[in-house]
Amino acid sequence: MTFTLDSTMRDLHGAAPKVTILVDRCAGCQECVVRCPTAALSMDTGNWVAKADQSLCVGCRQCVRTCPFSAIEVEGAMMVGPRAETSYRHPTNLLGDAGEIREGILTLEAAVAEASRCLECPDPTCVRGCPVHNDIPGFLHALREEDLDQAQQVLRRTSVLPDICSRVCDQAVQCEGSCSWSLAGGQPVAIGALERFIADNSEIPPAERVSEAAEGLEVAVVGSGPAGIGAAWELVQAGAKVTVYEKQDQPGGLLRWGIPDFTLPSEVAMRPWDQLMEAGVELRCGEEVHPDRLSELLEHNDAVVLAQGAGVPMRPPVPGTDLDGVMDATQFLTRSYAALERHQGMDELRVAAGSKVRPPKVLVLGGGNTAMDVARSARRLGASAMCVDWMDRRFAPVRPDELTEAEAEGVVVKFSTTLAALEGEQGRVAYAKLSHTRQESAKEKPEVIEGSIETEPVDLVVMAMGYRNDPEFSPVLPGTPIRKEVKPLPDRQWTASGLLANPAPDFARHMPVGKLALGRDGALSKAALPFGDRCWAAGDALVGPSTVVEAMAQGRRAGHAIIARHPQRPARTAEPQPPSSTRRVLIAYESRSGNTKAVAGRLQEALNPISAEVTCLPLNRVGAAELAEADLLVLGTWVEGFVVARVGPAKATKAWLAQLPRMAGVEVALFCTYGVDPKGTLAAMRKPLEAKGARVVAEAAFGRRDVEITLAELLGRLVRQPGTGGVKVARRS
Amino acid sequence: MPTRTKMQIGKGDGDFRPTAVPPMDPIAKAVHLRAPVTDGMKEHFAPTDVSPGLEVTRFKPIANLVRSRKFQFFLILPNQIIFWLVIFLGLAGTVVPGLNFGTAITWYVWFALVFVMMVVVGRAWCSMCPFGGFAEWIQRASFWKRTQKALGLGIKLPESLAQYGLLFSVGMFLLLTWIEEFFNIAGPGVPHETSYMVIGIVSSALLFFLVFERRTFCRYFCPLTAVIGTVGTMGSVAGFRTKDRDVCVECKTKDCMRGGENGYGCPWYTWPGSADSNLTCGLCSECYKACPSDNVGLFLQRPLTSLVAPRRRRPDVAWAVAGLLGLVLFQQINATSAYTTLDGALNKVMSFPQYPNPIDYLGIIGAITAALGGIGWLMSRAFARRDLVFTGGGRTFIDKTSKFRAYFVPMMYGLVPVTGADYFARQLPKALKHASRLVPSVAAWFGDGSTKSYLYNYRILSNPHIVLTQLVVVGLGLVGSVWATWRISGRELAPISAKPLAARFAVEAMALATGGAILFLYVIMHAAS
Repeated sequence: MTFTLDSTMRDLHGAAPKVTILVDRCAGCQECVVRCPTAALSMDTGNWVAKADQSLCVGCRQCVRTCPFSAIEVEGAMMVGPRAETSYRHPTNLLGDAGEIREGILTLEAAVAEASRCLECPDPTCVRGCPVHNDIPGFLHALREEDLDQAQQVLRRTSVLPDICSRVCDQAVQCEGSCSWSLAGGQPVAIGALERFIADNSEIPPAERVSEAAEGLEVAVVGSGPAGIGAAWELVQAGAKVTVYEKQDQPGGLLRWGIPDFTLPSEVAMRPWDQLMEAGVELRCGEEVHPDRLSELLEHNDAVVLAQGAGVPMRPPVPGTDLDGVMDATQFLTRSYAALERHQGMDELRVAAGSKVRPPKVLVLGGGNTAMDVARSARRLGASAMCVDWMDRRFAPVRPDELTEAEAEGVVVKFSTTLAALEGEQGRVAYAKLSHTRQESAKEKPEVIEGSIETEPVDLVVMAMGYRNDPEFSPVLPGTPIRKEVKPLPDRQWTASGLLANPAPDFARHMPVGKLALGRDGALSKAALPFGDRCWAAGDALVGPSTVVEAMAQGRRAGHAIIARHPQRPARTAEPQPPSSTRRVLIAYESRSGNTKAVAGRLQEALNPISAEVTCLPLNRVGAAELAEADLLVLGTWVEGFVVARVGPAKATKAWLAQLPRMAGVEVALFCTYGVDPKGTLAAMRKPLEAKGARVVAEAAFGRRDVEITLAELLGRLVRQPGTGGVKVARRS
Repeated sequence: MPTRTKMQIGKGDGDFRPTAVPPMDPIAKAVHLRAPVTDGMKEHFAPTDVSPGLEVTRFKPIANLVRSRKFQFFLILPNQIIFWLVIFLGLAGTVVPGLNFGTAITWYVWFALVFVMMVVVGRAWCSMCPFGGFAEWIQRASFWKRTQKALGLGIKLPESLAQYGLLFSVGMFLLLTWIEEFFNIAGPGVPHETSYMVIGIVSSALLFFLVFERRTFCRYFCPLTAVIGTVGTMGSVAGFRTKDRDVCVECKTKDCMRGGENGYGCPWYTWPGSADSNLTCGLCSECYKACPSDNVGLFLQRPLTSLVAPRRRRPDVAWAVAGLLGLVLFQQINATSAYTTLDGALNKVMSFPQYPNPIDYLGIIGAITAALGGIGWLMSRAFARRDLVFTGGGRTFIDKTSKFRAYFVPMMYGLVPVTGADYFARQLPKALKHASRLVPSVAAWFGDGSTKSYLYNYRILSNPHIVLTQLVVVGLGLVGSVWATWRISGRELAPISAKPLAARFAVEAMALATGGAILFLYVIMHAAS
C-alpha cells in the first residue's frame, strides 16, 4: 500500500506556521513552554506570559493541545518532510504464496531519514499511545545515530516482541495515531516500520536470567500466546521456574494459528519460544488446562497465570449454520496454515469445490481483520472469497491497510450486508441469503433493510465474526472480561500531555486515540492484581479479544506482580516469611482538615526505616496501579457524621471502597481520626475490603488526645519480624 | 504531595541490561519535560505577593466552608430568589416604582451595595451573582456537584475578540446605561421595565454560557465586569492565590486550570500561580477545591494593592477606566442646564423623541475618553526619554507597546479610585433617600404597603447632607488616586522620563484636576435633588 502524500505535500508548500498567544488569557503557567519540542516557546518575563519564536515553530500544535486555557492558536503548515513509503511485495501468482507481503523500510538511510521526522517531544504522546509504552523518541534517537543495538535495547526495556508487534500492531490507533504530527492532522512518523527495521536488523537478546528476584518461585502459565510469553519471559529472567501449558501441539497461540504467514512469518512468530525454551521455560504442549484443574496447579505452584485467551467463536443467529461446509475462522486458519506450509491444497476446499469447474466460492462472515486473514488465505489456496459485514464501510473495525491489501488480492468485501440465512443441498451449504443494512453513525447499530435479500451461491462458509471469553473460566476469573473504560475525569497527567484533547479524527477510524490509549492503560494496571491469593490473568483471558501487544504487556505486568509479591504455596509456608523490611507500604488517606493527613505522615515516617518503600498518597490518587505495587495498604479516613448520628467513614472513602478492584493477597491496616466517637467507622471500611479478598491485619482509631499511644500500638502490630509468621489480627476495642 | 521515600529497583538511563523488574511506569522514563522558566519570577511577583499571615483559609472553619462544594451555591441562592422575585413582581406587582419590591431593591439598595462590595472586597458580587450563577448551573447541569459534562457548545472566544479584554464590557455598560436613561428604568421608572432589563441580562448570560466555554460572559461581556474589575482592584481581598509559587510551577497537572477531582478549572481564566491582582478572580473558590497540593489560599491584602502593585499593566483596563470615567462624567454633566439645551436642540434636529440623544451621549463620553488619551499622548511627548525604545510587545491590542501606552496606561490606573468613588457617590442619593422603602415594598406583597407610610417617606439624610457625603466620598477617592498615582508614577513613569519628578507632578496634576472637575460638578448639579 502506498500512503497518500497529498496533505504532507500541501504542508510543504503551505505557509509557515503562525503562532498567536492570547495574551489576555495566557496565565504564564508554562504548560506549553515545558512541552514545546523545538523550544519555540519561552516566557516574556516582563508580563509573565508565554511568547513564541515563530522561526522555530514547526506547527505540531502540541502547545494548542496542552494549554489549559486554550490561549494558543497555531495556523499554517507543518514543517515536516513527507513520510517514508514502506515497501510491499506484490506476488505475481498468489496461489500457494505464503511469503510476507509487507516489507517495511529497506535501507538504513531511509530509516534514519524517517526517524528524523520525530520531534522528540518532551511529553511524547506516542509513548502513551503505545500499549506497552515503548520509549519511542528514545529508540528513534538511537536509530538516528545509526546505533541499532542501542535502539534495540531501548525497545527491550518495555517489549519482548518488537519484531512481532511491529508487524501486527495497528499503529494507526496506537503510537502513530498518538504522534504529534498525527494529532495535528499530518502524517505521523512511521513508528511501526522503524521498530521493525530495528528488530529485524539487530540481534534480539536472549531471555537470560538477569536477577534473582524470583529465585525459588515456581509458576504455571496457562497458554503460550503473547500474554503467556510476556509472563514467562518476565519470570524466567528473574530466576523463576516456569511451566507453560499449551493445548495445541505447538506453542505460540494466536501468533501461530491466528495470524497467517503473509502477515507474520512463522519463523518470526516462533522466535520468542525458541528463546524461552533456551532460557529453561518448560513447555507442555497438548495439555489443556480446564478451570477445574486450577486448584491442582495452585497446589504444585506458587502462582498461576491464566493466559488461555478468548477463543470461543461467535456465531450468527441465522438458520443453516449447522450445515456441512460451515466452519469457524480458527478451524479454517489452522488448516489453511498447514496446507500452505506443506504447499498442498486444503481438503475442505477440495470437498467444497466438488465436481465444479470453477474455483470454490468461500463466503466469510465478518469484515474485521480475522475475516481478511481468512479470505486472503482462501485466495492463496485457489478459492474466490467474499467477506460480508453489516457495518458501514466508514465505521468498519478493519485496518484500512489490511482492507486495501485484501481487495488488491481479489477479495470481494461487501459492507452494509448481512447474512439472513444459509441454505443447503443434501445437507451441504449451497446458497447464502444476504440482506442489506443501513448505518448512519459509528455508534448506532446497523439496521436491516427489509426485502433487500439477494441470493449468492457458496461452497464454503467461514464464520469470522469475532470471539468471546470461555464462560467456563468465569467462576475463577470473576469480573472478566474487564472493560477498558475511561473515567469521566481521566488521569491528570494524561490530560496534561494533550493526548486526550484529540477528538475522534478519521485517521484513527473516528476513534479518539487518547481515550483508547487510556482505556488500555487502565486494563494494563489491573493485570497486576491477582484473582484469589495466587492466581493472575493476562491477555484476552483478562480483557476479552484484544491485541498481541496488549496481551504481552499484561503478561509482563502480571509476571512483575508475581515477582514483587512473591507468593508461596501452602506447602511452603513453614518456611520463614520475609521480614517486613522487604515490604512495600502504601499509605492512602482521605483527609479534610489535615488531621488524617498528619497521622498518615507520622506513619510514613515510622514505617520508612523498616520497609522497602513507603508511599503516601491522598485517596483520590490511589488506583489499581498504585495498589498493585503495595504489599501493605494502610488506609486512613476522617470520620463523617454529626457527633453521634450517621457516623461513618467519609463519603469519599466510602465511594472509593465501593469501586475497589480485586484486593486478593493484600494486607490492609485501617485507621480513622475522630472527634467524638468513631462508632462503626472501622467496621464499615473492613467489610468491603474483606469482600474483595483483602486481609485486614490491624485497625486503629485516633482520637484527639491519644495520637501518640494509638500510633505506637498500631505500629506494634504492623512491624513484622523475620520468622514470626505474619502479624496477628488485632482490633482496637 | 505524594512522596516516595525510596527509589524503585531499576537501573539508570544509560545503562542497558533488561531489568527483571521493569520500571512500573515506563511513561515517566520517556517524559523529559523542559525545565520551567523561573528567572525573574520572584522579582515579577514580589510586589503583589500575599503575606501568609493574611490567609483567611488558615482558619479551619473558613477552610472547610470554602472547600465545600455547596459554598458558592448558597452564596448565589438568596440573590437568585431575590432576582426572580424582581422579575415576577416587576411584571405582576404594583406599578408604583417606589413601592414595587423589584424596583425598590434593585435601584435603592442593590446598586449601592454592589459598589460597596467592589471597593471593600473586589469581585464579591461575581461570586454570588444570580445571572452568571444561574447560567453556570445550566452550563454545568449541576447546582454544586462537580460534573464532568458541560452543556452547550463550549467555544472559546477567538483571539480577534479576546484581545480587547474588558472593552466589550464597557460597550455593554454604555449600551445598558443608555437604555436605562432612555426609559428611565433606574429612576426608578415603571417596574416592568426593570423586569425586562433583568430578563435581558439573564437570557444573554445564558446564551453566552451555552455558546462559549467557562465564564466567557463574565470575563468579557457582562456589562458590569469592567466596572467591578477595575474598581474592585481597590479591594482588600487579594483573591485565591498560590501559597508557594514553586509548587505551582512544578505542578504536573494544573488541576486549578483544567479542573480536578473536586473543583472545576478556573472559570475566569486565572491561574493562582500567576495572579498578581484580584482583577480576574471571581472568588468562586474552584481552584481552592481543585488543587491537589493544598497550595491555594484565600488571602487579604492592603487596600489598593491590586491597583498599585502589579507589574503587568493592561491597556484594556486603562481604556476601560477612561470610558467609565467618561460615562460617569456624562451622568453628572447631564444634570446641567447647558446639557439640557444641547440635548433638546439635537433631538429637534434629528427628530429624536427624548433624552438622551445617542449622539451627544456617545459624543460626550467619547470626547472625555479621547481627552484623557490626548493627555496621555502629551505626557509621553513631553516627558519620555529620548533613548526610550520598546523592543518587546506583540501585534494585538493587548500586548502592543508604545511610548503613548507607557504613559497613558499607568496614568489611568491611578484614576481608578476617584472614578470608583464617583460611581459610588452617584448611587448615594437613591440609597440614602429611599432605602427604607424596601420595608413598605415588602409589605406591599401582602397589600399592606402604602406611599403614605412612614418608612416610604423617611429620609436617611437630607439633601444638603447627601451632597456633603458625596463630596466626602469623592474626596476620599481623590486622596486614593493621588496616592496611587504617586506610587505608580514613581515606579513606572520616573524610570522612562527625562525629568522624572516633573512627569510625576504632571500626572498628579491630571489626577487632581479630574477629581476637582468631579467635585465641581457635584456642587453645581445639585445632585441630591
